[in-house]
Amino acid sequence: MTREEEKVLDGEAGPGLKLAMEILVKLGDIFGAEKLIPVESAHVSGISYKTAGDAAIEFLRELKELGAKASIPATTNPCGFDERLSRILDLPEELISAQRELVSSYEELGLQRTLTCVPYYQHRPEPGSHLAWAESSAVVYANSVLNACTNREGAPSALAAAIVGKTPDHGLHRPENRKPGILIHVDFKPKDEVELWSLGFLVGKICKDKIPLLEGLKGLADWELKGLGAAMASGGMTALFHLAEAHGEPVAEGIEEEVSLGKEDVLSTIEGLSSSNEPDLFFIGCPHCSEEELELIASLLKGRKVGKGVHLWICTSRYIKERRPDLVEAIEGAGGLVICDTCVVVSWVERLGVDTVATNSPKAAYYLPGLSGLDVRLMSLRECLRSACTK
Amino acid sequence: MSGGDLLVLKGKGIVEGHCIGEALVSSTPISFLGGVNPMTGEVIEEGHDLEGRSVAGKILCFPHGKGSTVGSYVMLALRRRGLAPAGLVNEVADPIVVVGAIISRIPMVVGVDISLLRTGDLLEVDGSTGTVRVLRRAGERVLDERGGKGA
Repeated sequence: MTREEEKVLDGEAGPGLKLAMEILVKLGDIFGAEKLIPVESAHVSGISYKTAGDAAIEFLRELKELGAKASIPATTNPCGFDERLSRILDLPEELISAQRELVSSYEELGLQRTLTCVPYYQHRPEPGSHLAWAESSAVVYANSVLNACTNREGAPSALAAAIVGKTPDHGLHRPENRKPGILIHVDFKPKDEVELWSLGFLVGKICKDKIPLLEGLKGLADWELKGLGAAMASGGMTALFHLAEAHGEPVAEGIEEEVSLGKEDVLSTIEGLSSSNEPDLFFIGCPHCSEEELELIASLLKGRKVGKGVHLWICTSRYIKERRPDLVEAIEGAGGLVICDTCVVVSWVERLGVDTVATNSPKAAYYLPGLSGLDVRLMSLRECLRSACTK
Repeated sequence: MSGGDLLVLKGKGIVEGHCIGEALVSSTPISFLGGVNPMTGEVIEEGHDLEGRSVAGKILCFPHGKGSTVGSYVMLALRRRGLAPAGLVNEVADPIVVVGAIISRIPMVVGVDISLLRTGDLLEVDGSTGTVRVLRRAGERVLDERGGKGA
């Protein structure tokens, strides 16, 4: 520890900074870090009152009482509703005010009200930069697509990093820990993103704490990579993946294990996550849609109309929604709703009175039954839009 | 009463502080989010070996934490209601419980063989030195006020 860090730990910079420093130093100790390193940004989870609850409100009250404040750019994950959903779901006043208190507490601590799981479309980290991000899908995107460095932080450690501006130097911050340990041969060509992302879910499950190198996946678009990583992170603990096609030459060194995955393996993964019920809510945007996805959705909805009694929700960030009013108009003109600040998974969607949600996201399919008691049917974006409109 | 043969276990101190209390011992990892009711302190995870027991005021001994990192906040919520464990003894330090113990200021020791402890043991935990001392074994009788053997 530097002398300055020791002073903070002794409380010379105030009790809020002391508590945050204590969290980082103790975690660094557990993980065998030799020092703290500066991070350029923090991304904090634990924003939705539905998942974080009163416990988070109380921690934030405590931090405010202790005078803590973010010292670096820090962004926030989705909360439980936007201005429309609170009305559509007819949320009780207690829920609304608790969620508002939670969000404004984060703002008072100096965090930005981004309320999205894709903060990287708003502030794009440089390759090689060090970050302290929570939200497992953003972590895997930052490491694998942007080539930035972040461990999979928890809600409190990302918040502590936002306050101190540092993180313990271990795990994926060290180049020697970013090499692949398991080679995954993909023996088939996924026919759509549901197959691709369910493959990701399965890879996450198989790899445990090993870093996968995937061979056989070519020419994936940004949104496909985003979903692939999100699925890996929800199927297991993957925080970084490599694509063989992106490396110039084969990476054999350090590979301890090889696994081949075929179409059969992926179909049984889909079966495990998906019901065959008739959906009444169609949901795209886990993780939040990029502009590229909104463009695709708007173009597929051209000349179509969402059927009666069917809901089509497209979730994205407020930043992207405000940047592309043309796409929002096209989607909403066809009868869909473009929702921001939240998503179906962390909202109180069960109050909508629907039974089955169709989505292209295995991550959403994994979490929705437990969080909302709803059935999920996995369908690709194209299938979702087709089914939502033909009824 | 306690004899000279009682256990003194040496682990690693994680959160400083000293406490004496009754052990509540589990062989199963605990998720504070969803596994412990923050309003009552009761373990609510179905099928958990502590299901239905309250962690309030106990020295909670278990292998390590699991589940969501929001679990750390649940420990603080318990603390603010006076329902937190008095001390924590774990085999392995995991980030969720460690952060929860720091923000809730609960003395914590790790690196201790939990299988040597029994629910009902009277324990003394020193989070600064990393010592867990068994002051009295569960079920051992103590002298009552009249000098006879009590329950």
